[in-house]
Amino acid sequence: MSLLSIKGVVKRFGPIEVLKGVDLDVEAGSVVGLVGDNGAGKSTLMKTITGLYRADEGRVSFDGADITNLPPGARRTRGIEMIYQDLALAKQQDVAANIFLGREPSKRPLGFLPPIVDKARMDIEARAMIDRLGARIPSIHRPVGMFSGGQQQTVAIARALTFAPKLVIMDEPTAALAVREVESVLALIAQMRKDGLAVILISHRLNDVFEVTDRIVVLRQGRIEADLATKQTQMREVVGYIVGAH
Amino acid sequence: MSTTDIKRSQPNLAERWRNVQFFFDTTMRVRLESLIVLALLCTAMTILSPFFLSLSNFLNILLATSTIGVLAIAATLVLSSSGLDLSLGSVMGLSGTAGAALVVEAGWPWPFAIAGSLGAGALAGYVNGQLITRARIPAFIVTLGMLGIARGLALIIAPNGGAIYGLPDPVVYLGQGRPLGIPSPVVILVLTALFAHYLLAYSRFGRHTLAMGDNEGAARATGINVERLRRTLYTLSGTLAGLAGLIFMARVNAGDPTAGISYELTAITAAIIGGTSLFGGKGSILGTMIGALIMGVLQNGLNLLAVQSYYQQIAIGSVLILAVYIDQFQATKERKS
Amino acid sequence: MIRIKSLALASVAVLMSTAAFAADKPLYGVLMKTLANPFWGAMEQGVKAGATAAGVEYYLQAVESDQAAEPQLNTCNTMLERKPAVMITAAINSTILLPCLKKANEMKIPVVDLDNNLDPDITKKAGVDIAFHIGSNNEMAGAQGAGFVVSKLGKDAKGPVLVIEGLSGNITGKHRADGFANELKKAAPGLEIVASLPGDWDRGKAANITNDILTKHPDLVAIFCANDGMALGAVETVFAANKGDKVIIVGVDGNSDAVKSIKAGRLTASVAQLPYLVGKQAVENVKKILEGGKVDNVVIVPTLVLTKDVIEGGKEPMMEFVK
Repeated sequence: MSLLSIKGVVKRFGPIEVLKGVDLDVEAGSVVGLVGDNGAGKSTLMKTITGLYRADEGRVSFDGADITNLPPGARRTRGIEMIYQDLALAKQQDVAANIFLGREPSKRPLGFLPPIVDKARMDIEARAMIDRLGARIPSIHRPVGMFSGGQQQTVAIARALTFAPKLVIMDEPTAALAVREVESVLALIAQMRKDGLAVILISHRLNDVFEVTDRIVVLRQGRIEADLATKQTQMREVVGYIVGAH
Repeated sequence: MSTTDIKRSQPNLAERWRNVQFFFDTTMRVRLESLIVLALLCTAMTILSPFFLSLSNFLNILLATSTIGVLAIAATLVLSSSGLDLSLGSVMGLSGTAGAALVVEAGWPWPFAIAGSLGAGALAGYVNGQLITRARIPAFIVTLGMLGIARGLALIIAPNGGAIYGLPDPVVYLGQGRPLGIPSPVVILVLTALFAHYLLAYSRFGRHTLAMGDNEGAARATGINVERLRRTLYTLSGTLAGLAGLIFMARVNAGDPTAGISYELTAITAAIIGGTSLFGGKGSILGTMIGALIMGVLQNGLNLLAVQSYYQQIAIGSVLILAVYIDQFQATKERKS
Repeated sequence: MIRIKSLALASVAVLMSTAAFAADKPLYGVLMKTLANPFWGAMEQGVKAGATAAGVEYYLQAVESDQAAEPQLNTCNTMLERKPAVMITAAINSTILLPCLKKANEMKIPVVDLDNNLDPDITKKAGVDIAFHIGSNNEMAGAQGAGFVVSKLGKDAKGPVLVIEGLSGNITGKHRADGFANELKKAAPGLEIVASLPGDWDRGKAANITNDILTKHPDLVAIFCANDGMALGAVETVFAANKGDKVIIVGVDGNSDAVKSIKAGRLTASVAQLPYLVGKQAVENVKKILEGGKVDNVVIVPTLVLTKDVIEGGKEPMMEFVK
């Protein structure tokens, strides 16, 4: 059974139907590249997976359970994480605050006083995760707004990976990075596959998509136009599907 | 010296200053410059007036700052979430009048003065929150409307629009009593500040509030129920305005429908001087208390020196602009380096 | 960062002009509402004259507006820190200063109610002791205003009249309006007060009220305002509606703006309080009680109806006190 199973999902905004009945399956331990032109509906589709949008029709199943009507927090708890194109970080908060945003550990001082956020523990685990990602960050106590783009993305990635997710969606993760940073992100994705995670990679950079994915799914005007095995297709065919030449 | 050498030696001083700032910011959550300005101000006033440095004068300053202080706490919480509550002063006036009306006019037992004030404030805040989150009307508009509505209601409740005088002793004690020699309003202010500081700086609620103010999309994406949090914040803000109304009512032993006119602006000023950002994502209760004290010390000191209140207004306006300028100045310097 | 420190110091230094230290002369504390109104300016001049004559020092404080009640209370408390020989206060409303005045009682500092802003019933109920109230009798002033209107229109006159009151809940405004209304009913029952609305001592508000009532009652014959500021607002509206010669407008205070307007033929009359005299006599009476003498609990300072004739005639002896 697939880890993530989307059947017949329709999403409308007023009179406009952005998603026109999408079927998609993603297996654990695989990387799926999602490509398509601007306005195809990629970001809307992802938001119906993470729960920011609720599908008007259709079903979203994850890990055997129907999550179509669950809010974003509950879906995160079940192991769905997303790294946004704009990173969605709180720029004035520090690294640990961002990584644990929404699920801060808390403790009761002296056992009975009202609960306070366990900053110390957050800092330790944040540091550990940043080190594991092999990134260089000046200080985990600075507001993340002061970091470079690549460093900020590391924080966003750390946030997605800290709570042992099962599915990670990455929206244009390499778009604004330098060459060396791109390589490390692709290596990370490969590692995630090896660890048994499912990854959906949204990207305009078809070279990256070809390098790291198992399947390539083309979305066009709210419909799945093609679902291809990466090793059995080439760039020209994929581009053809994107622009609707078939 | 080569140009690279010069460039390297200059940032050192700024960097060291930045580190000291960070220390104050992270451990005590206070903006360092505000603390310095307060210290300088107190020193200057001590030099200029022999009446400044006395316990009774300090208690006077704290007493004079108590209603604004509570409102400034409300403003801090709302501003941190990138919200805005312009109805604070009017809700304060409405609450005090409502509480007094229940007890003096309707003859209910004295605890209703307290329940009535806090309840009226909470209700006004609740309405604000509902309109902002469900009807999706901008907070500026909703609270501006509530500013007029609450004030009108207060003037209706009070007979002939005059103050409702003569509250029972237990209520008056909340405003004029001196437990252990400290005026009751000061005690209430300190307790409120401690609770609010815990809330904003140490609880998950506070973190979510600041995150929401920093980047609402990020808060939503991480599963924070932004709408519910917003409703809670406005209700809390209204309740605090009700508390300020209660303090004022007890202090002057009258429900005054004209209480608190334009106090919301003063409250927001205190919060911003203390380091709360007008755009959300950054706020500190301790900082706000320092901001309120800066204004209180200025007013008190200039009163002692018999300087007319118009100069006080100029001074406070200037301090506000200066405080924000310092932040901007630093932020631009960092962006360049 | 050094810039900020010097800026802060510099700004405080600029404001440090009047570090008045307590001298050997007794120090009187005078707390007014606001100095924005020339009425209070004249009263301050009276206080100054009285203080000079009596050989005493005083320090005078005011707040930014007629409505800044809590700041006035805070200022009162701060003034007590300097332990004045007496507190002469013009309270913004009947209740706001009571906690401070009670403290003054405890400190054995006599309290004087300047210009009858405190309701004696309320002060008694609160247990606050007032050495004396001094001011014009506001009801008499209102009645004088009515008397003037009747003298102009005749006691058989008929028509609508507008009354613009003071700040809601302020006893001064209430007494003037009541005094006017009662005397008008007695002297010319045909003149009907069609509206009695609070103008909050505000020129703009009074102008708006006048506009609204003129629209409703175009045949309005007279307007009585509880102070000159509001009367001047009403005057502008009436003249803008081209009814300047049809409506009698009477204010109260007799301040310099009002006098100018009367001389120019716009404002019809003002019941001049003599704030200069009030200030001067307040200080004189304070000196008396501080030296152990006795003073009536209510000291009434007379009022004078100022019209163009009175001002230009120059024969009225009390004109000396009109500043």
